[in-house]
Amino acid sequence: MTALYVLDVPENTTVAKVAAEAGATVGKVGPYFEITSDGSIVIDRRATGCRHAVWYSCIAGVAGGRIVQHDKNALQVDPA
Amino acid sequence: MALEHKVRGVDHAAFPTFDPAGTVRFYRDVLGFPVVHSICAAGWGPENHPDFIHFFFDIGNDDRIAFFYYFGLEPQHTHERGDAYAGFGPEVPEFFVRSRHLAIHVDDEADLLEYRRRLDESTWPVEMQIQHETIESIYTHDPNGYMVEFTRAMRPVTPQEDLDANLTIDALLDVVAEPDPSFGKLLARKAELIVERAADWEAAQV
Repeated sequence: MTALYVLDVPENTTVAKVAAEAGATVGKVGPYFEITSDGSIVIDRRATGCRHAVWYSCIAGVAGGRIVQHDKNALQVDPA
Repeated sequence: MALEHKVRGVDHAAFPTFDPAGTVRFYRDVLGFPVVHSICAAGWGPENHPDFIHFFFDIGNDDRIAFFYYFGLEPQHTHERGDAYAGFGPEVPEFFVRSRHLAIHVDDEADLLEYRRRLDESTWPVEMQIQHETIESIYTHDPNGYMVEFTRAMRPVTPQEDLDANLTIDALLDVVAEPDPSFGKLLARKAELIVERAADWEAAQV
């Protein structure tokens, strides 16, 4: 299972929301969103509405996977 | 046990200048920073130290920016890029040259735009205005080539951001202690620290 951690601050809430809409499971570990999936986690940047500075600094941690895309279009984390 | 935190901000940050007239125009006349201190010193000591003026501007909060003007001293490098202190050749990337700068805090957007107005009416207009993650900043270079930023918080910092910062630093120390540190390794180590500590941290926040 792949887990993506995102800090729960106002700028980041849409990142978790869009991940959930795309099929990932979103839980919490302390003040972090824990976004998990058995497959790839894909988040569309434009759907999040995040400006670039927020988008490129929104990832707090990645477990059991690796980032294969993090650009102006999308963030994708694939299982390791 | 944390060490007691007793310091009280920046007393002064000091920089050399070869253009004292431009420096006074920029900080005192354009920005309105009061001159709060100066030292006129004759050179002495074994290193053939030149005579100099050491002068200070208030940057708010009783903190100060200070300059050294040395009589008779020529610029210490001939690079076109960089500032009065350090020069850089074309092989040095711009992000690196810009990494060292002074950021001065303002309370809100109105104050940020007031300093933008003062700079835009001067010889040193604002070069960039950027919303970062949680702060908004304007940038220019002073007459000495030093990059100066004015910045305001777009919202208060939350307690969880302090936790996150500390987990980042602990993860960073772990990955730089091993060969070939990378962003991916940092995020993997930080994920482990989040799982270990974040729930307990939240439980302790009452």
